[in-house]
Amino acid sequence: MAKIELSNISHSYNPNDLNPTYALNPFSMIWENGKRYAILGPSGCGKTTMLNIVSGLVKPSKGNVLFDDNDVTNLITEERNIAQVFQFPVIYSTMTVFDNLAFPLRCRNFSEEKIEERVKSVSDTLRLSTFLNMPARKLTADQKQLISLGRGLVREDVAAVLMDEPLTVIDPDLKFRLRRNLKEINEEYKTTLVYVTHDQNEAMTFADNIIVMDQGEIVQVGLPKDLFERPKTTFVGYFIGSPAMNLFETQLHSDNSVKINDTTIKTNTNLSKLKNNNIKLGIRSEFVKVAKDESENLLEVNIQKIEDFGNFKLLTAKMGQLTIKSKINREIEISNNTIKLHFPAEKCCVYQNNKLI
Amino acid sequence: MEKLYKFLKYTFIILWTVFIVAPFLWAVSTSFKDFQSVNSKVTYIPWLDFEPTLEGWRVLVKSPARGGVDIVEPYFNSIFVTCTASLISIILGTLAAYALSRFTFKAGFVRNNDITFFFISQRIMPPIVLSIPFFIFLSTIGLLDSLLGLVVVYIVLLMPIAVWIMVDFFNRVPKELDETALIDGCNPYQAFYKVVLPNSIPGLIVAGMFCIIFGWIDFFFAFILTFTEVQLLPVKVVALNSSITPWWSLSASALISVAPLIIVAFVVERYLSKGNLSGALK
Repeated sequence: MAKIELSNISHSYNPNDLNPTYALNPFSMIWENGKRYAILGPSGCGKTTMLNIVSGLVKPSKGNVLFDDNDVTNLITEERNIAQVFQFPVIYSTMTVFDNLAFPLRCRNFSEEKIEERVKSVSDTLRLSTFLNMPARKLTADQKQLISLGRGLVREDVAAVLMDEPLTVIDPDLKFRLRRNLKEINEEYKTTLVYVTHDQNEAMTFADNIIVMDQGEIVQVGLPKDLFERPKTTFVGYFIGSPAMNLFETQLHSDNSVKINDTTIKTNTNLSKLKNNNIKLGIRSEFVKVAKDESENLLEVNIQKIEDFGNFKLLTAKMGQLTIKSKINREIEISNNTIKLHFPAEKCCVYQNNKLI
Repeated sequence: MEKLYKFLKYTFIILWTVFIVAPFLWAVSTSFKDFQSVNSKVTYIPWLDFEPTLEGWRVLVKSPARGGVDIVEPYFNSIFVTCTASLISIILGTLAAYALSRFTFKAGFVRNNDITFFFISQRIMPPIVLSIPFFIFLSTIGLLDSLLGLVVVYIVLLMPIAVWIMVDFFNRVPKELDETALIDGCNPYQAFYKVVLPNSIPGLIVAGMFCIIFGWIDFFFAFILTFTEVQLLPVKVVALNSSITPWWSLSASALISVAPLIIVAFVVERYLSKGNLSGALK
C-alpha cells in the first residue's frame, strides 16, 4: 500500500513525430493511500493510458511516477507490486482456479502455507471457494473476471489495485454486489483502489473521489456531490448525470443575474467581472421544479412530453428554441400544457467559455 | 428439400470416402500379391481372387546381400531427421514468432511484417532454385550426404511454417495475458513460458504437425543432398523401382511410409477434439 503521486505526467504514443499527439496532457495528481478513486470519461480519453503508466506497462513520455515518494518511473512492471484488472477476464486457462489465484504469490516466492491462507481468504470473499479445484477455463465469464479480480486482491502489500472497467462483462445484479464487495475490501485491507469506468453510476457509488477526463485532459477531480452539483466545465455537466445538465445560452443582465430569452434568472454567482460573451447557464434537471408559490426565477414553458421512469417522471419542455428537462415526483399530475418552472438560484451554475465561474 | 439435402450430403460423403480410402485398400491388397497375381488378370480379394503372400513385405527388411532392399535404416533416418528438424524449427520458430507478435522492430524500412514475410518467402521460391545454393553450402561445411546436413536444410524449410503459424496464433492471444503475468510478478521470460506458452499448445500442435508432414514427405532435397552414406525413406522407396516394377513391395513400402502420418493425424485429432484447447480467454 502506498501513496501514489503522478508528477507532471504526459504521454504521447508518437513522441518522435514532428507533431506528436498527446494521449495525456501534462498533469499532476496524488492518490492517497487506502482511498477509492474512479476515473471517468468517454472512450479514448486517456483513462487506460493513465492506468498503464501507473502499472508500468507504459512509460510516460514525460514526468515521474512516485510510490511513497520513491521514484518508480524507470521500474518495470513486475518490480512495482501493482495489481491490475482488465476489462475482459484474463485467466491462465491451463491452471486451476486455485493456481490462478496463487500465481502472483508463487511468482514472488511466498510460502505454501501463506499462499493457502491468502487464496482461501480471497476466494471466500469472492465466493469462489467451491470452484478452487476446477480448471479455470470451465468457469463462466463473470466467474473468470472474479478470478482476475482475486489475483489482484491476493497480495496484501500491493501499492494499489487498478481496475480497467472490470465489471463490463458481469451481470447487473452481481455488479452491484461486487462493487459493495470492493468497498468492503477497501475498508478492511485499506487497499488503494483505482477504478476506470465510463459508467457514471458505477463511479458515483464506488469512489470517494472521482477524476473526470476528456481528450487527454483532467477536467475535474472531486467528490461525487461536487461533480453533480457544481460541474467545473460544461463537459462534466453534460457527461455526468442522466439526463445531462440543462445548458442555455444566456446574456448577462446584472451583477448576479442572466437573461434567458426575456426571462431574468438570478444566481448566487458574482458576475460583475464577466464580459458578455459566450455565457451559459447550467442547471441539473433534478433541481428544476414545477413552480408553486415562488415569485422569481420562473420560466413559462410548453410541455413536450412526460416520461414515467417508475421512480420519477421526466418532463421535457420547450421555451422558444430552448429545451428544458426536469425530473419531477411521480405524484405530481400536470394537466396544463403551459406551466411555470422554477430555477433555484443556489443551484444555477454560470459558465463562460464552458468553464464554471 | 431437407431430405434431398441430406441425401446429397451423404452421397457426397460416401463418394468422397471411397475416393480417399480405395487407393489404400488397393495398396493393402496389392502388397500381399506376387508377380503372377498382379500381372495376369485384375484381382481384388485375397484367398478368393489370389493366394496372399508376404514376399512384398519381406523384401523391405531383407538386407541387399540376400536380395532385399533394406528400408529399415532409411526409415529411422527419416524419423530422426524429421523429428529433430521439426523440434528445432518449432523451438526457434516459436521464439521468433513471439518476438514478431509482441515487440516492434525497426531496421531502416524493415518492420515486423516484412520480417514475417521474409520467413514465408522462403517457401514461395520453387525448391529447385534453392537446390544449388544448398548443395554448395553443405559441401563447403562438409555436411553433404550426412544426417546433420539434412537436419540443417530441413530446419530452413520448416521454420517458416512454424513462424507463420505461430505469429498468427500469438497475434490472437490477447496481449493482456502477458501484461497480467507481468503485473502478477513474472519477468518477460517467465511470462512467456509460464503463461503464454501453455496457452499456445493448440498452435504448437498444429505447427508441429505441419512440420512433421512437410519434413516426412520431402523427396527433392533428400534426393539431391545425399548419395550413398545416408538415405531417407522417400528416396529409398522410389529406388525400389526397377526394370520390372515390384508393385507388391512398392505398395507395402508406401503403406508403412504413410503409417506415421496417419498415426500423427489420429493423435492430434483426438487431442484437438477434446476441447481442452479452446476457450483460453473470455
